[in-house]
Amino acid sequence: MASKKIVIDPITRIEGHLRIEVEVDENNVVTEAWASGQLFRGIEIILKGRDPRDVGFIAQRICGVCTNVHYRASISAVEDAYGIGLPKNAEIIRNLVTLALFVQDHIIHYYHLHSLDYVDVVSALEAEPSQAVECAKKYHEHPYRNSHANISAVKEKLSSFVKAGRLGLFANGYWGHSAYKFSPEENLVHMSHYLEALRIQSELGKAVAIFAGKTPHPQNLVVGGVTSVADMLNPQRLNDFMFILKDAHDFIERAYIPDMKMAVSAYRDEIKSGHGRGSGNFMAVGGYRFGKAEQLFEGGVINGHDFEHIDSFDDGYITEEAGRSWYVDEEPTSPYEGKTEPFYTDLNEDGTLKSEGKYSWIKAPRYKGEPMEVGPVARMLIGYSKGSKIIKPYVQKFMDDTGLELLDFSTSLGRNAARAIEAQICCDYIFDFCSDLIENIKYYDEQTWTKYVFEELPKEAKGRGIFEVPRGVLSHFVRIEDAKISNFQAVVPTTWNASPKDASGIRGPYEESLIGISLADASSPLEVLRVIHSFDPCLACAVHIIDTKGRELSVYKVGTLCNV
Amino acid sequence: MRIVIVGGGIAAAYMANALKEQAPQHEVLIVSKEEYPPYDRIHLCDLINKSKSIEEIALELPSGVKLELNAEVLQVDRKAKRIYTKTSAFAYDILIIATGSSPRTLFGIDGMKNAATFRSANDSACIAGCTKGKNVIVMGVGPIGLELLDTLCMLEGPKKIYLVSRGKHLYDKAMTPSSVAMMKRIYEEADPRVEILLNEEILDKTVEENTLQKVVLTSRTIEDPFIIFGVGITPSAEFVKGVLDVDKGILVDEHMRTCDPSIYAVGEVAQLHNGYIAGRVRECTLQAEAAIASILGKEHPGFAEFVTIDGLKVGKFLLADVTSTDYRPKDEKNEEIVISSKKEGRVDHYITNDERLVRFIGINTNIDVAGLKRMIEKKEKVDAAYLYSNRLQSKRGKLICSCASAYEKDLVEIITANALQSFADLKPFSEAGRICGRCKNDVAQLIADTPVDPEEAARLKAEREEAAKKEEMETVRRRIKKFNALHPKNTIDEENLEEAMKAFDVSQEYNKWVSMITANMRLGPEYEPLVKQGVEQLNKIPIIWLELADCTGNSEGFIKSTRPKVDELILKYISLDYHELLMAASGDQSETVLEEIIKKDAGKYILMVEGAIPLGLEGKFLRIGPKGETGDQLLKRVAKDALAVIAVGSCAFDGGVVAAAPNPTGAVGVAEALGRDDIINLPGCPVNPISIVGTLLHYIMFEEFPKLDAKNRPEWAYGYRIHDNCERRGHYDLDEFVLEWGDEGAKKGWCLFKMGCKGPYAELNCSLAKFNDGTSWPVQAGHGCFACGLGKVAFDKYATNRVIEEDENGK
Repeated sequence: MASKKIVIDPITRIEGHLRIEVEVDENNVVTEAWASGQLFRGIEIILKGRDPRDVGFIAQRICGVCTNVHYRASISAVEDAYGIGLPKNAEIIRNLVTLALFVQDHIIHYYHLHSLDYVDVVSALEAEPSQAVECAKKYHEHPYRNSHANISAVKEKLSSFVKAGRLGLFANGYWGHSAYKFSPEENLVHMSHYLEALRIQSELGKAVAIFAGKTPHPQNLVVGGVTSVADMLNPQRLNDFMFILKDAHDFIERAYIPDMKMAVSAYRDEIKSGHGRGSGNFMAVGGYRFGKAEQLFEGGVINGHDFEHIDSFDDGYITEEAGRSWYVDEEPTSPYEGKTEPFYTDLNEDGTLKSEGKYSWIKAPRYKGEPMEVGPVARMLIGYSKGSKIIKPYVQKFMDDTGLELLDFSTSLGRNAARAIEAQICCDYIFDFCSDLIENIKYYDEQTWTKYVFEELPKEAKGRGIFEVPRGVLSHFVRIEDAKISNFQAVVPTTWNASPKDASGIRGPYEESLIGISLADASSPLEVLRVIHSFDPCLACAVHIIDTKGRELSVYKVGTLCNV
Repeated sequence: MRIVIVGGGIAAAYMANALKEQAPQHEVLIVSKEEYPPYDRIHLCDLINKSKSIEEIALELPSGVKLELNAEVLQVDRKAKRIYTKTSAFAYDILIIATGSSPRTLFGIDGMKNAATFRSANDSACIAGCTKGKNVIVMGVGPIGLELLDTLCMLEGPKKIYLVSRGKHLYDKAMTPSSVAMMKRIYEEADPRVEILLNEEILDKTVEENTLQKVVLTSRTIEDPFIIFGVGITPSAEFVKGVLDVDKGILVDEHMRTCDPSIYAVGEVAQLHNGYIAGRVRECTLQAEAAIASILGKEHPGFAEFVTIDGLKVGKFLLADVTSTDYRPKDEKNEEIVISSKKEGRVDHYITNDERLVRFIGINTNIDVAGLKRMIEKKEKVDAAYLYSNRLQSKRGKLICSCASAYEKDLVEIITANALQSFADLKPFSEAGRICGRCKNDVAQLIADTPVDPEEAARLKAEREEAAKKEEMETVRRRIKKFNALHPKNTIDEENLEEAMKAFDVSQEYNKWVSMITANMRLGPEYEPLVKQGVEQLNKIPIIWLELADCTGNSEGFIKSTRPKVDELILKYISLDYHELLMAASGDQSETVLEEIIKKDAGKYILMVEGAIPLGLEGKFLRIGPKGETGDQLLKRVAKDALAVIAVGSCAFDGGVVAAAPNPTGAVGVAEALGRDDIINLPGCPVNPISIVGTLLHYIMFEEFPKLDAKNRPEWAYGYRIHDNCERRGHYDLDEFVLEWGDEGAKKGWCLFKMGCKGPYAELNCSLAKFNDGTSWPVQAGHGCFACGLGKVAFDKYATNRVIEEDENGK
């Protein structure tokens, strides 16, 4: 029997418009895969010609999920270009907001965007609440909201919902699929936390808003600092912030981490089979300094799962190419030098991707010519391998408790475990950042903005803002000419992970991770979703990687409405 | 938009009221040369005899309308869109000229102590104060002259009162000699001081030290005079001559547009191209309506002349006048029918042309003038016998209000049946006395003279109020019942909702949330139980949420920023059947869900759209689903059978940031992509979730979406300016501004306007609703607003931290 192609579009429970096509053989084993970003908005083009001080307003709208980090990175890139330093307070406030976002993002990702690939909602209805209470206790001494009354109520609630016949968001899921391994009780415990997590994520949104005005799309940054000085000086605001984080901390300790251990236990075979393992290239830039000289994340590069040799990271090795992307062909070039013009070659007549040609709005970034996986798993593996005082103990404890090895993190569920551990680390150490803030204000440093006179700044400059953000390495590059933005480019985490093949046919991390997985039922490709969701895709940011420097945009003027 | 109205009369006040009612988001400024706020000129006579004070005849102005008094506009600069007075300049987006007219005089009277015109409150004060012991001469016998004569008769001061006409008529040239004689007799008999002089004019006058010593008329010389001119008016258009096209008045089309699309003229200052100039209140208000419709881009046929009914109530007689638009005084084909009775002091004077009635003037008439108006409008043939047999008192009694065609007996019946006690009580039943206002006092008198039982009155009043509220609540109940009866989708009803709430320990939060929504929707607290029921019904409406060229910010906001725990409620109790961010199914499975809703629930589902629609590259900048549909195709397919389409966020509104210059993907909003004008817009980046839920609830409760403004945004959420409700507004008013990020003012929470806050340009409820459960909002975070809810213009113009210089000058 010949191989056949499966198209999954839309991939739901992610940000953005992602399509995955896989080719399977007669045994339903994936032999080839294509990941394709299906939306192009051109935010970078819109940024061109604007006042560098306004960059944040527009760049922030690259994504409404990781909204804060684009805001920050774009403004940092301009600060870097002008050599404007940040006052201590401003740096700390920015870190507090970003770290709160890490925690919020990871929780939403696991429970609301991903867990339904592992949790069968319908099966939870068969659970015996008293057994579910006991089942949760296997993974923590005092599980989160684990009273019999509460667990029964959750079951009741779900029953009335499912019995109603109309499942709303849960409609047409893969319920009853043979790849679901949790017992009814384990499913029920997860669903109970699914609902709790809705509240927690909304509380964490408040924490972000305390210093950032609102979320999504916060409004508290300007080139040179932060504006929320009144909130910073109001002890009640910091107090509220810390209380929300304490609440989240409690949830992570007593629900998120235990649930992850439960998942590792139930899906051990899947992990050990290497489900969703990629090529083993990982990259991180590190960062988030606090205290005297400590930093939360380590930078470095791992090649082919070689945890013994960690290369140091140098952004000069980053290149991008577009051999298989909907842009005019180009040799691999540095993001500073890149020239890109959209060149859309359409889909096949039947709506499928042109497997041999160009097939995505995402470009292919490479580090020393290799695709790289970024994100929590990269940070945890690099931190552990470099012996980070902060990261190593957490990863070690998780491995000891679950019997996992380092290599096991390089799988679908392993990525989730790394993400949960990272949420725990961020939530523990955010209080150190709070202490830094208190310490600083205590000694009468109330400065939140570095003064500069815009007219006196150089008219030509270039700069970058590179950060670890929830989904991996984010870098914004800005070039300023005649005091206006002449070129802007964002290389974002999902660009790395969702990269299409390059000219030499080397797959991107999504694609590589799909190779070899076997589908129980080709018409319900749940296993594919598990792999893709484990990366926490965020497509809005990935699809406008375009450098327009030096080229007339009218080259790709198509139709009358595209009036550039 | 900043709308500036020049003038301080009825037309100006009417415009201001109607504008604020129909489009409250606009800024309205009245610039008047008078020292008093707009008042009702109809009642100037009451000022002279001191039966009313200036406050009592003041016209109501809605709050929020700004008023500049003692400011005579001297110049209009069309290019800069500014008007200038002696001391100030005002910028406008739209300028409305309603300066009315100024009275003519027969000789210059500036600085003269004993000469006046009759047009303003100051004129009234002058006439009341300076006529004592004088021989008062009223020049002019039109309606104004007659009313003035009547008023002077009420004063004790004047020694003699002369009413002087150059011709041989009173009131109007069409009057028959017998009518004129009767009126003359009635006036002169009622007050021995009065003498009406016909066929006379001023031959000479003597002036010494700014005082008129004597006036020489054709038949006599009058010593120690006080002269008042009521000889006609000239439109006050002098200040725009050379700037706009001006004939007698400012030339306008039927939409009251001048030759400058940003400038309108209404009332006595405006002249239609056929030469017509309005003179009556009703005409001015109709012109105002036409202008407003044009300004707000609404459909309107424009102003047209119409059959008028005029009433004049002076002294001992009532004069009624019905005039056709076809009436030409000098047409030789005009014929007259006069039926008069000396005994009753009654004259019915018909003027016909080609057997059709063109005018009727009646003195103390009993004829149903509203009936005559209909007769003219229908161009019925006149039957003289019919007119004769109808001459006696009609069954409905005297005509009290000619504008509303209300007769005495009709009104008495209404008053007794409903036990009305005040003029205000009458409003729900009749418009009598409220249109031109001339007969307001008579109506009020009639109510005072008609005895009613006060207890009964109080009871009926309470009953009426109760009934009105009940009716509205009943509508809501009916709606909710209707949803209950719908083919059940989710089976959540009141009972198991309670249960579910208890299970989630959210009942208390939920009640708080319901109160908040109720208040935000501007409903009274008595609505809470209904809002609650409405929430429970939300799950009966299937909702499809499409994400197009977006960043998912609105979805994120939607699941995040509602009150804690209630987001569960949203997830569970809104039947959010298709939502890419949250739904369990993917690919084919999710597409099946979509297909099913579109087919099975055609005409029942609500479509919410987040994100812009890229139209460039034939829409291929965005493709969704297994068949690779473009975003545009998908939107059109799903919108076709939707009950309603709601554009969520600024991108769906008009393309938002995606359509910001140079709009690389040719992005547009939902309304433009679909080519429809019935899309409900909820712009914001992201929109506050309260606005989404409130809009859905409104639909459930009232069977219609909330009242929308000109941009199809619900007024309850977008009818505010951020600036007006800003927590830092007090500092703005005190000139306390942040001048540098992190300065002392910033620490104290001073106004951010000088740091580029665009709150004054933004119509949104952020300052009231805030974000993330009321935690904060951009102004609280010390950053300021950039009017994200205005759509793409926010990203092209307002997304800076700097004050917009050119806008301060009116763009």
